[in-house]
Amino acid sequence: MNQQPNSTLNRRAFLVRTGWLAAGTTVLTGCSSIIPALPSTKDPVAEDGLAWIQIMPDGRVRFYCPRMEMGQGAPLGLTQIVAEELNVGQEAIDCITPATDQVPPFKMTVGSEGVSQFAEPLARASAQLREALRARAAGKLGVPPAKVADATGGFAGPDGSVLAYGTIAGQSGFSILEADMSAKPKPADRHHTVGQRWRHPDLQAIVTGQMTYSRDIVVEGMAYGDVLRPPAFGAELLRADADKARAMEGVVAVVIDEGDNFVGIVTENPFILDAALHAIQADWSRPAAADPVQTLDADKPWDEDDFEHEILSDGSIQAGRDEATDHLSHRYDTPFAAHAAMEPRAAIAKVSGGKAEIWCGSQDPYFVRGRVCRVVGLDEDDVVVHPHRMGGGFGGRVPCQASEEAARLSAAVGRPVRVQWDRETEFRHNYFQPAFSHRIAAGIDGSGRIRYWDHGFVSSPIIFGLVPKPLSYILDLFVADEGTARGATLPYAPPSRRVRYSDVRTQVPTGSWRGLGAAPNTFAIESMVDELAAEARMDPLAFRLQNLPKDQGRLAAVLQTVARDADWGRPQPASIGMGIAGAIYKGETYAAIVAKVSVDRAAETIRVNHVWCAQDCGRVVNPDQVESQIAGNIAWGCSMALKEQVPFDGGQLDVSNFDGYDVLRHDDAPNISITLIDPAKAAPSGVGESAFGPVAAAIANAVFAATGHRFRKLPITYDDIVPATAS
Amino acid sequence: MFELNGTPTTVPAHLRDATLLDFIREIAGLTGTKYGCGQGLCGACTVHIDGDAARACQTRISDVDGRKVTTIEGLAATTADAGLHPVQQAWITASVPQCGYCQPGQIMAAAALLKANPDPSDDDIRDGMAGNICRCGTYPRIRQAIKIAAGKG
Repeated sequence: MNQQPNSTLNRRAFLVRTGWLAAGTTVLTGCSSIIPALPSTKDPVAEDGLAWIQIMPDGRVRFYCPRMEMGQGAPLGLTQIVAEELNVGQEAIDCITPATDQVPPFKMTVGSEGVSQFAEPLARASAQLREALRARAAGKLGVPPAKVADATGGFAGPDGSVLAYGTIAGQSGFSILEADMSAKPKPADRHHTVGQRWRHPDLQAIVTGQMTYSRDIVVEGMAYGDVLRPPAFGAELLRADADKARAMEGVVAVVIDEGDNFVGIVTENPFILDAALHAIQADWSRPAAADPVQTLDADKPWDEDDFEHEILSDGSIQAGRDEATDHLSHRYDTPFAAHAAMEPRAAIAKVSGGKAEIWCGSQDPYFVRGRVCRVVGLDEDDVVVHPHRMGGGFGGRVPCQASEEAARLSAAVGRPVRVQWDRETEFRHNYFQPAFSHRIAAGIDGSGRIRYWDHGFVSSPIIFGLVPKPLSYILDLFVADEGTARGATLPYAPPSRRVRYSDVRTQVPTGSWRGLGAAPNTFAIESMVDELAAEARMDPLAFRLQNLPKDQGRLAAVLQTVARDADWGRPQPASIGMGIAGAIYKGETYAAIVAKVSVDRAAETIRVNHVWCAQDCGRVVNPDQVESQIAGNIAWGCSMALKEQVPFDGGQLDVSNFDGYDVLRHDDAPNISITLIDPAKAAPSGVGESAFGPVAAAIANAVFAATGHRFRKLPITYDDIVPATAS
Repeated sequence: MFELNGTPTTVPAHLRDATLLDFIREIAGLTGTKYGCGQGLCGACTVHIDGDAARACQTRISDVDGRKVTTIEGLAATTADAGLHPVQQAWITASVPQCGYCQPGQIMAAAALLKANPDPSDDDIRDGMAGNICRCGTYPRIRQAIKIAAGKG
């Protein structure tokens, strides 16, 4: 069985050669205008962690957190990991978001990796620091290290006297930069901090309005900038006339670069900025564009039997067809989607004297640094990025384009410049989740066993969605985008199965969005599995359990747990339905969802009343944060199922604010119940996106149970349900 | 002239057409009130005008002449007790925030809701809070926190 795209080896070789895989490390230094800035992709190792933790002279622990906080809470979980190994309470550790000159580059904050990838290296580094402190304490006490016992915030000598970290560290503080990394983290049965519901240290600041996001920063002497951005995909600047704007009182400068589609303005105060910007007369080309949704049509390559990538192939589809007694073939479609984080991005840039400073929010401050370097022609050593808590990320803030715009304007006027995107810019000038189009053909035998599964889908590149031309032309020839394919391999094991896809670019820029392909792909898979269950006249839970292989016990367990919690199988009144779905996220986190849906014919509404989730994400570092993430995943799943869709007109975006892009609000937010299965022996796995995948399918399956109408295209709306149930 | 968190505040003539949101963020330097959409669609900029919830992005500064404006920074001082407003305290107790950006607006909306309806049902909360978007999906914890603040948590 081949779980990886066929082109894995080629891709890795190519990416290493181009520097893509080594981004942010040592391959690229200085600033090259030929090679584009690249996201930071190097996985953390224990040695990296040494640079993140220090003992201060007062004995406090300073933790430079290598994860950007955007609400996912991973910095809190990692703080608990450090505190665990160093035997300190929450009051004795400071979690600090480092500027780019404070610690070496670290991987971008994506993929629900905050705890799953960083906990182990950080625990090892913290243990190493603890043992180095123990050795020092032993020296001070004149006893062997083995005689120095752990104590809160320090160590206890053989006579019981406590030596605090501050005493051991001394006036210069204490950290280690090189070590043999032989120290062992505590075993799970000695944990006193991991598994506790620590409260986020930012709560007080958030509820009192004191939390500083990038929009809230003030830099002395700053001016206010904004940019006229292309009004359409592919639009080129033809002409810009700024005479009127330049004559306005308070306008500091107008910056026009026609070759680079750049028109920017800087003003003395924020109140005249919008009027001054729109006093510039700019003409843009209007390229014709095809409907991107129609471009992404699974039936074209399906009918031609010509998908670019094959990620799974077991047995013979033809043999499976021969064995099956019932056959189904259906299309499933999900639309383009936007991140719509509540904080539109913003940045302040101060470019002067051959140096630059940037204040912003980004999932990858080192990527921001690299991109700013190229804009202003400085080396990476001369640019410092100060990242701030983000008002939501969801994959949409790997770059911070406002940083580059502000840097360009600051370089032009020689003083700090602030650029804040408004909501329309946030909706129209970032990248998107691509639409997905699936065709699945599958069949069952007389005992309700899936005999074959043939799945082909089309979407756009996600992980490589932002690779600029011309690199993208070369890349697309042989790279299968694993982000697009995330979650596309079904957990069930029919004897014959095949999964193929094509990742096709349209004019719409695409990139990471919560879970990448996981939610669209799970929607298709778990909808079809439900259809097969109905075809077999079997209970959807029983059908799933029967078709799961023995080695998927953890998925079976969450399905059984969520069914128990939701009282699955109890007869429901008319117009109320229950739906179930499950998925494995990134091969490590097991989530199952039951949704209870009611259809109100008088009010003409579909309401999701309750969503249950059971999740096995390995050892739980902070149950409060994990439950919070699951609640967010459920909200996103409801929003995807019932609300979200980027509208297009003539191949161009037809959205500028929340009135054109509906997201879940309080009035449609269901009650939720969460059960965490906490197997202490399994390492913590990702939780930021894991429960999202199955939610939309569970809702669509519940609507089917309530009405007999099968939604194969999202979002689900009441208006679409009526013809099917009225007939 | 209006009262901003209890402080008499003079508006320069040339700023009378500015929005209340821009004024309190850019001139008064109170950045707890957030910009989210600029069109009154998301609730991130919710403040109290004479005790009622209002969208600061949809209010001209000249419209609050002679009125009392309370922002998230001034909410705690509107209660007799020292420390936080009960809604702020409930938000901490229920560990509501994720990214936190919308939460000042949610808290201001919730405080106004509870003032008008001290004992809201789930549906009262759903309907009363529907103008405030939380993209992180903290809605269930917000409902819980409002019940805690109402003394029913």
